[in-house]
Amino acid sequence: MDCRDVATLGVERLTGEASEAARRELAAHLAGCESCRREMARLEDAWTTLGADPDAEVTPEFRRRTLGLIEEEMIRGRVRAFRPRPTFLRPALQAAALLVAGVLGYFAARGLPHTPGPAVAAAPAPATAAATVPDLAANPRFANVSYRAADKDGRVAIGFDVTTRHELEGRPSDPDVAKLLAYLVAHNAETAGEKSRAIELVSEHFGTGNAPASPEIVAALSATLRTDANPGVRKKAADALASFPVTPEIRAVFLESLKSDKNPAVRLVAVDALAAAAKASPDANTIQSLREKAVDPQENGFVRAKAASALKAISF
Amino acid sequence: MQMNSGTDDAGLLERIRRGDTDGAAELFERYAPALLRFTDRMLSDRASAEEVTQEVFLKVISRAHQYDGRAGVASWLFAIAANACRDRRRRDRRATIVPLEAVAEPRARGEGVEASIASRQRREAVRQALSELSEEQREALVLARYHGMPYAEIAKTLGISVGAVKTRIFRAVETLKAHFSEGESSWTAAT
Repeated sequence: MDCRDVATLGVERLTGEASEAARRELAAHLAGCESCRREMARLEDAWTTLGADPDAEVTPEFRRRTLGLIEEEMIRGRVRAFRPRPTFLRPALQAAALLVAGVLGYFAARGLPHTPGPAVAAAPAPATAAATVPDLAANPRFANVSYRAADKDGRVAIGFDVTTRHELEGRPSDPDVAKLLAYLVAHNAETAGEKSRAIELVSEHFGTGNAPASPEIVAALSATLRTDANPGVRKKAADALASFPVTPEIRAVFLESLKSDKNPAVRLVAVDALAAAAKASPDANTIQSLREKAVDPQENGFVRAKAASALKAISF
Repeated sequence: MQMNSGTDDAGLLERIRRGDTDGAAELFERYAPALLRFTDRMLSDRASAEEVTQEVFLKVISRAHQYDGRAGVASWLFAIAANACRDRRRRDRRATIVPLEAVAEPRARGEGVEASIASRQRREAVRQALSELSEEQREALVLARYHGMPYAEIAKTLGISVGAVKTRIFRAVETLKAHFSEGESSWTAAT
C-alpha cells in the first residue's frame, strides 16, 4: 500500500470493516510514515469527536404517548373492515364459471337428439360489459366493484354490477371516469374496501399536484371525511385531500374535522394539512384552531404536540 | 449493532400481524431507543424525531404483512425510518435544524454548570458538522458510527450497493475531518 490508500483504509478501520490483513498493512505503513500518522490521527479525532453528541433518550412521556398510539392503531387494525378483497379473485372465478357453463352446455347440446321443431330463439350473445356509466342520478347500488391500477398511460379500469356488468376504462381525469370515481367515493359501494380503493385511485392520480382534481371529487372526498362511519375510510379521504392543492373548501373541511372528528389519526392528518396550508398562506382561523388544539387538555397528546410543533413552523 | 435475534423479531412481527398489541409494545421497547437516536440525528429536531419515530411504528403495524424476511427486521425498521426522515425533510422544506436551547436536554447526573455548557458546545459542534453532510452521507454515517451497522447491512437498509455505502462514509468522514480541523482552535477553546 502507499500513502494514497491510507484515508480509505483508515476509515474502514474506524468502521470495523478493515480485514485483519489490511489492518496489519496499515499499521506497518503508519509506523514508517509521519505524514500518514498525522492523517490517521485527524481521522481518528473526527471519529472520536462524533461521540460527543449524546444519544436522544426515550422519555416516559414519549413512551406513554407512543404506546397509546400503537394501541389505538392495533385496535383500528382489528376492526378495519375495508381491506380490499383480492381483485383478481372474483373475475377469475366468474371467468371459470362461464367456461364451465359453456363446456357443459356444449356437451349437453351435442348429446341431445336433433329433432325438428319450432325455431328456438337464438341464445343471447355472451354478455359483454357495458362501457358506459349508468344513470347515477338514480342512485344505483354498485356491487362487485373491481379496479385495475393505472397502466403506463395512466388509464385505470373500473368494473361493477348494477343490473348488468359495467366496465369503464380511462384516465381518472376523463369526465366519465371522474364522475364514476366521485360517485364511488361519495356513496358506499358494497364494502368500505371498494370505497377505499376508489379513494386510493383518486389520490394516486390527482395527489401531489399531478393533475387538478375535479370539484366533484373534492366534494365527494369532503363529504366522506365529514360523514363516513369508518375511521379508516375517513383517514384515507383526509390523506387524499391533503395531497391536493389547498382550496378554501379543503381548508374548511379540515378545520371541521380537526374540531370534531372522533379519530385522532384523522385529526393528525388535519393538523398536518392545515399546517402546510398555513405555511403557504397563514389565516387567522387555521392558526386559532391549531392554538386551541395545542393547549386542549382533553385532546390526544400526540395531536396536541403536533399542533404545537406545526405552530412553531408557521411564520406569523 | 446490538439488536435482538432475527427470529425473535420476526416472531414479534407475526404477533403484530395477528393483532397482538403486546407484541407491538414489545417491538417498541426493543427498537424505539435506536430509532429515536437515528431520527434525532437525521432531523436535528427532537420534536420531529419523536413524531417520525411514532410514524415508523404506526407504519410497521399497518405494513407488518409486507415484511418478506429478505432483510433483518432491524434493517427493515431503519429503512422505514430513513424514508420517513427523507419525507419529513422534503415536506418541511425549510431547514429543520432548531436551536438546541429549544430542546430540553437532560443534564448528566452530577454534571456542573461549566461541564454542562462545554457538553452543549460539543454537541452543537457535532450537530453543525453533521448538518454539513448530504442526507445520503449522513444516513450511512449515522448508521455506521452510532448504530455500529456493518456496511452490508447499511446497504440493505438504504437499498444501495456496499460500494456506495463505502463511498458515502468515506466522503462523510473526510468532510468531518476537514470541518473539525478548521474549527480546531475554537473547539479547543470551547472545551
